[in-house]
This record gives sequence, C-alpha cells and structure tokens, in this order.
Amino acid sequence: MAAADICELNLTDLSRLIAARELSSSEVVSAILAHLERLEDKLNAFITVLRERALAAAKKADEDIARGQYCGALHGVPVTIKDMFETAGVRTTGGSKILADWIPETDAALVERLNAAGAIIIGKTNLDEFGHGGTSTLSHFGPVHNPWNIDRIAGGSSGGSAAAVASGIGPLSYGTETGSSVRRPASYCGITGFKATFGIISRHGSFRGAWSQDHVGLFARSVKDITLGLDPVAGFDSRDPASVHQENPTYAARLDANMKGLRVGVLRRFLDGVNPEVRQAFDAALKFFAGAGCELIDLDVPEVSYAAMTSMMTSSAESAGINRRWFRERHQDFVPHVSRGIAVGMTITASEYLTVQRARHRIREALRATYERVDIIASPTTARVAPLLSDGVKGNGDDTRHASYNHSNLLRFPSMLGLPGGSLPCGFDAEGMPIGMQLIGNWFADQTVLNTAFAYQSTTDWHTRRPALVST
Amino acid sequence: MKDTEKVGQRLALLKGISLSPADLEWIASEIEDLERVVAELEEFGRDTPWTAMPVQPPDKKV
Repeated sequence: MAAADICELNLTDLSRLIAARELSSSEVVSAILAHLERLEDKLNAFITVLRERALAAAKKADEDIARGQYCGALHGVPVTIKDMFETAGVRTTGGSKILADWIPETDAALVERLNAAGAIIIGKTNLDEFGHGGTSTLSHFGPVHNPWNIDRIAGGSSGGSAAAVASGIGPLSYGTETGSSVRRPASYCGITGFKATFGIISRHGSFRGAWSQDHVGLFARSVKDITLGLDPVAGFDSRDPASVHQENPTYAARLDANMKGLRVGVLRRFLDGVNPEVRQAFDAALKFFAGAGCELIDLDVPEVSYAAMTSMMTSSAESAGINRRWFRERHQDFVPHVSRGIAVGMTITASEYLTVQRARHRIREALRATYERVDIIASPTTARVAPLLSDGVKGNGDDTRHASYNHSNLLRFPSMLGLPGGSLPCGFDAEGMPIGMQLIGNWFADQTVLNTAFAYQSTTDWHTRRPALVST
Repeated sequence: MKDTEKVGQRLALLKGISLSPADLEWIASEIEDLERVVAELEEFGRDTPWTAMPVQPPDKKV
C-alpha cells in the first residue's frame, strides 16, 4: 500500500490490517513519520517527535504480532499524545519554557496503558502552556495552525493533537480538557473528540490545569475509533484521587446505532448569537435526530447561565494554587498572557473560592434534575468556526465572566461538572471550515453519548472529509 | 470600601513579584471584573448547601 494511502486509513481499518499482518507496524509508522515531517512546517503541531524510538517500537510490535502475541486494537498503531503527559526518558514540557528541557523518570498512567496496549507513541503535541488557553497560540513553542486553513487557529488547549489527527498524522491522539480543550479543537479541526465522565481515565502523571475539572480526552476521525482508543486507557487508578472503580471497559463492543426513543434536549436560550451557518448546520443535525426516532425536548435551565463564570473562577483559583511556586520564582518565564491569568488567580481568596463552589453545586443539582428528563443535551460545540490567528486570544469570542453571555456556558458546563461529552463534525461553512456539534450525557452515561454519535456518523459523512493540505 | 482600595488590596497579594506597568494595568482591570463576578455568584449560590469533600477512601463501604 502506498504511504499516502496508509495516512488516509482510520484507526479501525489500520488496526485490522496490522492484526491480519497485511500491513506491518514498521511500514505504517514510517509512512506517518514521513507525512508528519512533510506537514510540520505548516502546522507546528509537535513539540517532540520520537522518530527512532517509534521505529524501534514498531519493529518490536511486528515481531510480537508475528509470534502471536497480539495485544489488541492499538497494537502497532501510531498515536500521538499532548505534551501534558510525562514520558520516561523523553522531555515533557507542558508547552512551557519552564520545563523546556525536563526529562521525567516515569511515565504517566496514560502512557503506561498505551505501552501495555502496544501503541506506538510517535510524538508529543503542541498546546497552550500547561493547558491554560483555548487557542493553542499560548505555547513557548509557537502557535499551532489549523490544517483546514493555516491562517486560522486549531483551538486549544489540545490544538496540536487535533491538528495532527485532522491531517492524518496518526489516527488517534490523547489530550486533556479543563474547560473545553478537547471539544473545541475537535470542532475547529473537523474531527471527533471525546472526554469521558470525570474519573474514568486516570490523570496520574499529567500536568494539572485545575484539578477539579481536568480530564483526559481523545481525538480520532470517528467515534468508532474513539471507543477503540478509550477501552485500553479507561479504568481505576489509585494514584488519581478522582479515579472511579469500574468494570473492564467495553465501549467499542457496546456501540449501538439505535436511537429510537432517545430524549435529546436543547438549551435554546443559549443559541442566540451563534453564527448563522453554525446554527443552520446544527438545526440540520436536530432534524436528523428527529427523523431517527429521537424525541426533541426544549429545555430551560437558567442556572447554566452561571456555568462559564463559575468554571472560569474555579480554574483560575486552582491554576494559581498549582503554579504558585513557579509563578513566584519564575513568572517571567511563563507565556505573558498565561502569567497574567495566574496573577489574577492568586488574588482570589479562599472564601471566594468556596463561594464559587457553592454556585457550582447549584448548577450541578440543576443538571441532575435535567437529566431526569433527557438522555443527551445537544448544541453547537462552538459559536463560530476557527478564528484567524491574527485575531489573537480574544478571537474565540468567548466571554466567560458575564451571566448574560450565551454560548460559553454550553462549552464550559460539561467539564466543570464532569459530564461525558463529545464533539463531532456536522457541517462546513462557506469558506470550507468545519462546524462541530457537541453531545453531552448524564454522569457515567458515556456509552449513550458514544452510541448517539455513532448513530449520527453511521448515516452522515461529515467526519470522513479531509483538509486539502493533506494531499497537496 | 472604594473599588480602587479593593483592587489595591488584591494587588498586595502579589507583593514581591515584579510586574510591568502593562501587566499591572491588565491585572487590575481583570480584578475589577472578578469583584463583580464573585458578588454575582454569591447571590446566585445563596441558600445552596456548602459542598463537602469526604476524606474516607472511595472504596470504603459501610
């Protein structure tokens, strides 16, 4: 198979071909690395590329598979990880000058599990410094560019991961989300992103953005691929205080496209101000759900109006606590915008933080009641397509500190409350930029979110489209 | 207390950190916003139970 064709394969097909030994892991990893090297000047999606290490691991995977020691769907498959995860013997920067040369001695839990599953980590992706941002322009290593238009942002903070998957630089990537750092870049880059319920995937060995909101998430080209990447990394880990006990994960095996009777809620009051083309694509998706036998339910949950400001205050205070020492000793080494944000967080008092948590509890109880009435809450993932790089950090148009501001609340409430959620492509605007739809489920109803997305992708083809950059 | 005094109190928490005039101006502006947000959230959260974080091992059963 030609190298270009290998880069077009999704995880499901790539995994099947490697398992059947119709493709070797070495062939695949070589092709993907060459593809990465061809595109990286345009994307700046990577901080560290593990060429020699990946090729050696691929050779070993081929030998193990030939001996009949097949480990499962990720065996021999090239994957990428956000540079938030510690990797033994490989520098781990968090996108920061402060750790530009730091080499950990141990692996993050995610890396341990990927290694056990036989996955080949080919590189560590670029991000907003320590996950503090929504653009992936706040990195010591420069901004990430969107593969659909390199003058636009990839979204953040896991922008390098999203840009890599959208470009065919590996079929699967792992990132983190504190506010919207998986769903937003997935939406901007036209791919599928998913974060599980808080506590499903261990965060041990990854940098904290805000500990009560941090999640590990995945990027792939389809939700089926997401489940193949989720099964090997989910599960209890006593080293993460948020980790929950669970049965052996079997998300992939339980995928089911039957949506009949599913109750899909829409928080319409938060859609005012959404770009008309985004709104049109979302409305078309709602029609699809209705046609598939779902019950559409208009919801009014006014408490969600406070979600963005509650989330922002929580992460601001927690990130100040996390970075307190570095900030006092080396504040000039932070990216300037990140440094200013930490400074503001350091002025939040303990009593104010607790007051904010009280508000958070009220929002959580409102959503708990809401999920008695619906199975899924659907909305546009972002209010607009990826902004121009030249618009800077304000280009996202997010205002998180006013109760009256609409769409940021939809983007922020899932991570703040630990709900499972995904973003999937649902259209394109007139300039060819992808539009995303998010599906948010009840706590631990991860399978419902995945099944709903699977049903949508079984009938639509938005997720199969690729940026022109890939083939030029 | 005047708004300027409130901002000044918060900036005092950053004592010892050398910030540029541009940084200070940006931070002061954000702090003014923060005062308003906390007041709004305090009102919103009134009559809501204070949250508690249990310290027992999560797998402990009674």
